[in-house]
Amino acid sequence: MHWRNAWIVMRKDLDEFKKQKLVIGSIIAMPIVLGVVLPLVMFVPMVTMVPLERQWDVNGLLQIGSLPDDASIPWVNQSVENASFNAMVLKHKTLINVQLTNCIIVSCVLDNTTIIDSTIENSSLSSSYLSNVTVIRSEGSALDGSNILTVSSNLRFTKTKPSEIDQVLPLMFNMVLMIFIIIPATLPTIIATYSIVGEKNNRSLEPLLATPTTDGELLAGKIFSAFVPSMGSTLLAFTLGVTLLDVVLIPKVGYPLLPNLTWILSILLLAPTACLMSVLACVLVSSKVSDVRAAQQLGGFIVMPVVVLMLGVLSGFIFLSPVMIVVFAGLYGCLDLGLFYFAKAIFNRETILTKWT
Amino acid sequence: MIICDRLTKTFGSITAIQDFTLEIPDGCIFGLLGPNGAGKTTTMRMLSCLIRPTLGKAQIDSYEIGKKEDAQKIRGMIGLLPEAPGLYETLGAYKNLDYYGQLYGVPKQRREESIRNTLTDLGLWERRNEPVGGFSKGMKQKIAIARALIHDPKYIFLDEPTASLDPAAAKIVREYILELKKRGDTILINTHNLSEAERICDQVALVKNRIVKVGNPKRLARGLFARTINITMEKIPSSLLKDISSLDFVLQAQVKENQLVLQVKNPEEDNPQVISWLIKQGLHVQFVTEEEHSLEDVYLKLIEEAAR
Repeated sequence: MHWRNAWIVMRKDLDEFKKQKLVIGSIIAMPIVLGVVLPLVMFVPMVTMVPLERQWDVNGLLQIGSLPDDASIPWVNQSVENASFNAMVLKHKTLINVQLTNCIIVSCVLDNTTIIDSTIENSSLSSSYLSNVTVIRSEGSALDGSNILTVSSNLRFTKTKPSEIDQVLPLMFNMVLMIFIIIPATLPTIIATYSIVGEKNNRSLEPLLATPTTDGELLAGKIFSAFVPSMGSTLLAFTLGVTLLDVVLIPKVGYPLLPNLTWILSILLLAPTACLMSVLACVLVSSKVSDVRAAQQLGGFIVMPVVVLMLGVLSGFIFLSPVMIVVFAGLYGCLDLGLFYFAKAIFNRETILTKWT
Repeated sequence: MIICDRLTKTFGSITAIQDFTLEIPDGCIFGLLGPNGAGKTTTMRMLSCLIRPTLGKAQIDSYEIGKKEDAQKIRGMIGLLPEAPGLYETLGAYKNLDYYGQLYGVPKQRREESIRNTLTDLGLWERRNEPVGGFSKGMKQKIAIARALIHDPKYIFLDEPTASLDPAAAKIVREYILELKKRGDTILINTHNLSEAERICDQVALVKNRIVKVGNPKRLARGLFARTINITMEKIPSSLLKDISSLDFVLQAQVKENQLVLQVKNPEEDNPQVISWLIKQGLHVQFVTEEEHSLEDVYLKLIEEAAR
């Protein structure tokens, strides 16, 4: 197969596509509406109305805070100044100018303290140096960082249960992410279904089939000419959508949430394979029917694997984790390959030219 | 050279063409004549490797029709003009031609030069980027012919090349086809236009789901119709018909107004004798012409016979 010929077919189709302003309009408008406007309509009321307050995760705290069997006998209700401790359990203490290493600290007041490789529970931190520390339910202003002088990179705060936003966001993100899978799977029905049967109806197919271009080259060209605008438009909507969602959410959560790994894998793996599947199905149908409308209806029907995924996500049966994305992308990729060889095998110049029903 | 040997194509229970056996020599303009549904387009499509023959064989040079491995080579040697121009209406003439030039693997420089020359010849160079959808039918047909020739093919297949053209444009196309013949190209034309076939074809095949007759258009007429001489005279006496019919070389005689219509055994030898005899009878001969039968007469007669 000469990819050059596929490239020529694709460029011609894109040239034709560029002249069809209405089609371009719908190809751009649909992703913008579904991938940008709709998520904003969903998220803006949520972030303005739902409180962000995080509640203490008491059950989680008890589980994490259980002490190991070999822990030292704790000192209780003492005030310690200018000392250094290693592998101690400190409960209800006031620690001033103390260095603690590998300690379990429960319900203490820590002032100007250096804590290394320790676990802190129910304590108040002030002017402390924390390094490799797991902080559990530590009260006061310490946790917002204003009174913690330094923290190590792997400092882990595991003390709260999610706020309402924290609980709702992943589900909403999943739904919005599904939009970015549905869009590239739906757009090709506008372009790809026209690819072969449209040429047949315009009577331009016969001279094209009379060229030395092979079936594979012709199909590949037709596939890419539908794939490129569909994915291009999806990526545009994705970039815009992610940026605007971050703009809306950053004031509430404090940092950019998107794109996370799941979203990146989705747009790089799942969306292209879903798009390709739809394109292939539409081109396949387009080479088998004699009417553009029939091709569009059948082409829309063949994106069922994407609809199955969507239903799974919406029903909560499938949660789009990175692993799940890779699994589905692999599945779609295999289907794409199978569809391409099937389309190539049943592509028949004679039937295409002579069959009109 | 194109050689067809009992080429047959059926679509279900319908036989489009049967036992099509023919040789088309290189450098010849060959016309396929026949009514609608006679199998002309099917034959052309088979020879272009667009559809496979049901039975029989055909070869273009050393390549065989219907063989998958030869199909690409054959398509590369052929320039096809289908029944409809089939241009991309939203694209300009330049892009239409350039697209096919690329698919046929014509090098860029040669392609650009060829397109420029063709569009200049057609008077379209200034309008090369205008969508061809706005062009007249004739203009589109010319571009489609230029498309079929973009890769300088050895064999040119033209399906009704002048069907949608006005007389002036049709004349240009016919002259263009004759120019191509001078270059040594082999041209196969499907046409309904009998006078066109008569004017430009070296050989024609009358087709009605099979070959009815093959030959040079003029010779076909001679073979089918007895040669007739029209002699125009100032006055024809009533007894003339009886007298001239008695001459032994006269096969048939008729009088139409002031014309004597004769069929003789051997016109080249018998005509001077007829004229001498008439002059001896004191008749004033004004014109002597041989009645010509057009290809249309041949076509209608043969197709009528084939339908019986």
